[in-house]
Amino acid sequence: MKLAGLLLLVLSVEPSISHAVDYETDVKATLKDRCFSCHGSVKQEGELRLDAGTLIMKGGSQEVVVPGQSGESELIKRITSTELDYRMPPDGARLTERQLALLRNWIDEGCDFPDDEVIPKQPSEHWAFLPVNPPAFPVVKDKTWARNPIDTFVLAKLEADGRQALPQASPTVLLRRIYLDLIGLPPTEAEQKKFSSNPNVDVIIEQLLSSPAYGERWGRHWLDVVRYADSNGYERDAEKPYVWRYRDYVIDSLNRDKPFNQFVLEQIAGDELPSRSIETQVATGFLRLGHWDDEPADPDTDRFDQLDDMVSTTGQAFLGITIGCARCHDHKFEPFSTRDYYSLVAVFNPLERPRDGRTEKTVLIDATEVYSWTEISNQAPVTHILMRGSPQRLGDSVEPGVPAILVKTPPHFPNATGRTTQRRLGLAQWIASNDNPLTARVIVNRVWQQHFGEGIVSTANDFGLMGSAPSHPELLDWLSHWFMHDADWSLKKLHALVLRSRTWQSLKSNDSLVRYRRLEVEAIRDSMLAVSGQLNAKPFGPAMKPSIPKAALESNSDKESVWVPSTESEAARRTVYAFIKRGLVVPMLESLDLADTVSSCPQRQVTTVAPQALSLFNGDFAVQQAKHFAQRLSREAGDDPQKQISLAWRLALCREPSSREIECAKQFLIDESLEQLCRVVLNLNEFVYPE
Amino acid sequence: MMSRFIPNRTPCGRTRREFLWEVGGGFASLALTDLLANEATATTILGAKPGHFPAKAKHCVFLFMNGGPSQVDTFDPKPALQKHHGKPYTGEAKVGSNGRPIGHLMKSPFEFTQHGASGLEISSLFPHTAKCADDLCVIRSMHSDTAAHASGCLQMNTGSIFIGKPSIGSWLSYGLGTPNENLPAFVVMTDPRGGPIGSASNWSAGYMPAAFQGTLFRSGGAPLLDLATPQGTTDRSQRRSLDLLKSLNEEHLKSRPEESELVARIESYELAYRMQTEALRVGDIEREDAATLSMYGIDDPMTADFGRKCLITRRLIENGVRFIQLYSGGGHLEDTWDGHNDCITNHTQHAGETDKPVAALIADLKRTGLWEETLLVWGGEFGRTPTSEGVDKPGRDHNWQGFSMWIAGAGVKGGQAIGATDELGFKVVEDGCHVSDLHATILHLMGIDHTRLRFLHQGLNQRLTGVEEHHVIKKALT
Repeated sequence: MKLAGLLLLVLSVEPSISHAVDYETDVKATLKDRCFSCHGSVKQEGELRLDAGTLIMKGGSQEVVVPGQSGESELIKRITSTELDYRMPPDGARLTERQLALLRNWIDEGCDFPDDEVIPKQPSEHWAFLPVNPPAFPVVKDKTWARNPIDTFVLAKLEADGRQALPQASPTVLLRRIYLDLIGLPPTEAEQKKFSSNPNVDVIIEQLLSSPAYGERWGRHWLDVVRYADSNGYERDAEKPYVWRYRDYVIDSLNRDKPFNQFVLEQIAGDELPSRSIETQVATGFLRLGHWDDEPADPDTDRFDQLDDMVSTTGQAFLGITIGCARCHDHKFEPFSTRDYYSLVAVFNPLERPRDGRTEKTVLIDATEVYSWTEISNQAPVTHILMRGSPQRLGDSVEPGVPAILVKTPPHFPNATGRTTQRRLGLAQWIASNDNPLTARVIVNRVWQQHFGEGIVSTANDFGLMGSAPSHPELLDWLSHWFMHDADWSLKKLHALVLRSRTWQSLKSNDSLVRYRRLEVEAIRDSMLAVSGQLNAKPFGPAMKPSIPKAALESNSDKESVWVPSTESEAARRTVYAFIKRGLVVPMLESLDLADTVSSCPQRQVTTVAPQALSLFNGDFAVQQAKHFAQRLSREAGDDPQKQISLAWRLALCREPSSREIECAKQFLIDESLEQLCRVVLNLNEFVYPE
Repeated sequence: MMSRFIPNRTPCGRTRREFLWEVGGGFASLALTDLLANEATATTILGAKPGHFPAKAKHCVFLFMNGGPSQVDTFDPKPALQKHHGKPYTGEAKVGSNGRPIGHLMKSPFEFTQHGASGLEISSLFPHTAKCADDLCVIRSMHSDTAAHASGCLQMNTGSIFIGKPSIGSWLSYGLGTPNENLPAFVVMTDPRGGPIGSASNWSAGYMPAAFQGTLFRSGGAPLLDLATPQGTTDRSQRRSLDLLKSLNEEHLKSRPEESELVARIESYELAYRMQTEALRVGDIEREDAATLSMYGIDDPMTADFGRKCLITRRLIENGVRFIQLYSGGGHLEDTWDGHNDCITNHTQHAGETDKPVAALIADLKRTGLWEETLLVWGGEFGRTPTSEGVDKPGRDHNWQGFSMWIAGAGVKGGQAIGATDELGFKVVEDGCHVSDLHATILHLMGIDHTRLRFLHQGLNQRLTGVEEHHVIKKALT
């Protein structure tokens, strides 16, 4: 025991590195961990970069390594120094003996590194920060396949990779796919019949894009991005008064195909627009959707937490950047400084939350209660950089601005008017401009992700250096340019273009761009209601509360009064109208991966776990819908089991059952009720994974 | 040779990092690059995974004393309070919360005596737990960042005073999975009077997939939500319905055999069915003998509820459940340990309800050999003021600057008290343990390095213990 301890001690003083040092795993990993944040592509203290072998050799304002002589190398001298203003890294723990030994050995062995090592680009050259220019159309061998430009770009890549385009899905498969994609409901029997007499999918696409159900489906996607919820969270978890008007605004804006750049302007600065209306001021509810503790642990930082919620969400939702990480220190991996961050804080700092102590107030505009912030004066408070995010440590004061890396010249911020500081208007105009490199790319990618199951950029909220690279960069740029300049920011035109492409209409497989992906819980629940005949199409207005099992309320601190469910018919409205209570999410919605209610959700998770099966097979809601579904089948198909089965399959799956399916179901119905069969049908994989 | 410079490619042809970004939630088990020696081992999101190093504890039980037990009445004796009883406090510590009235220094009416071979001092509130004194490692120097219940409970559970973060049970489920997927990995049992303030935010998976959230387990009736076969459906019909579902789904799968999500969803229904049987069996404590029921105090109305929970806890541990949290106290104020009006009556009641069951759990774990692999954590979201709340009123207000908790079991050095508060019991003066230090210690005992367990969210590698530096409480370890 003693001997082992002694041995360990010796080892830790002078670690022997037996194998040849590996640049990638031994050297670069250490440098990345401890040095890149100041000597990498984002920052170059002392003009030095250590993130590639050639750059280490090049050195900075002085040479840092002498190959073969670690003792002479500045890098090692600094790392081993004890002088506070000389040693490296300047903060945090010293490098371990082992890390130091590896660096020494690497230098002594001659500083080997691969010739083809990729040198990380400077942030200013990062693809997403460059202007959107239309790329040249690729030349493709197969001149007949492509139906529109999307197909041309996709085919070019397939041909380059030596792969085949996939065949097109059948019209009936496409019918159900389009319905679920655009409106989140399956086609009715009448709609199916009509389609079979004229199977033209273009007509269906146009028709559904004009349906009010489109906004109810796609509005929810936007609500995910803006962290929508109906309550504040925390102890009282109070309802946000009239916040549903913002939800209705989103649905209505999408249905009216409001240009996306206008949609941006209204949500950030709807009260500062020359053309402001109640509608545009309701839109600014976007800024007030966040969680809010009415009894904050630290009132000094509370104010900045609320500002952070606005800055972070604005950054992610519209620009696809993780600027929130620059609150306490310059972003370690992205070219965003605390100055950039607090310049954005300065944009929102004039806002005040209307409240009376712990009780939130609304803003009364022409007799309409509007849930938004207000600017009470056109004199902006001074905004300081907070050192390490601490409100007690004020740094320089900053003016409103945008992240420096994203602009050649800072955008113009208008002067304060009689009412407000106009700072948000300045920011919104820059975000909504055709010159912004990110806004169009980010929204085009979100739309693509929702249609295909996976984005061209798979990190929909992060287009920064750490985000993933686009799978089809030219296509993304072509679409973004087209979206701004030819489609005038029309989302419906973008949907139509995508849905008409052969790429989207292809069969789903592991090779296709269009993926199998489980429907979101809203579309599952709404489809169940539609199939059972119970769906209440009533649009807009105060949220409804689906019933929650008593057992799930017992864990609440005020279990008797916390949740008063709506009537069955009111709760049978579309799920986008369900009350989202941050402290008590309806269990069925929660277990089926509802969006995070606290921060911007770039994409729904898809988990597959037993509690989902319990909810959909045993839960009150599912059992109730199975009952209604069975009654409907008896009503509409009579007593003949075969007719009942056929109708069930058409309503739920939009197709006739196979002979084997009929046989299985008939066999089942000999001993079991129609209601049990309906419960099975509503739980089929095919019901929630559209073709 | 060159291959070592080519990024690790996934089957989809993306770099592994890109792949992990993208699947973040879909197959989050894969995102544990640091943890998994062999990624292929974890096939489901909750499948068991190895930690960073051999674990001392396989299971953790968090006995959450909701509302905030008073340190000076439980595990932190302060003779000086006897001396200064009734005098105003003149020190520099912040006193109380939210502008509540500040009274005078108030001695504890509960006598502290030494217990066990170690002579650990424990108040008369816990005569049963005191018999296990040599197993307990009391931390007298706990401190947190907030004086409010909502943010305090959140911090104790998630490390953050803000909602939306994964709780420690979620981190453990994410990091280690569970050896028995027929039961949830992370179980929560609340008080019949209600849940803690903030309710489900306290066992939420936050930005992680919902699969990692705490599952409520009830100590009576159907233990899990939607567990029972629907009314009017016989067990036979249930099984036949599941069989039909399975056969139709398998038929559907035939032409799409490569779609693993479809396979997983078929399996989830079978898993749910097994869970029905298993959870009912585990929750059915009637099979236990009378002596056991009595040891847990299930035959006494005072201790019956918490006793039942503690007994179920032992049964859950036996069946592989990773993290179990039990709440003592629920709803508001005096229904919890929140003794604003009369801390003496309040604590007498809540300690009375829990002391015997907790001691029984310790004894039972020892009897069954599970003690060697189970970590126990006892405490609330903060402590209470050594002053009364208002003059001549026996209540105590919130105190987050210094309070006591204890840990015991696998890997813990028992029979000791770590750290100290000042002479009167307000503020930590020695060996301070921040809530995040406790979290680091729990993860450590479970085989996880808290700096290496990460989840990518909003462009950052998030950790339970956050960005500030926190440390494992070394003195607490064997």
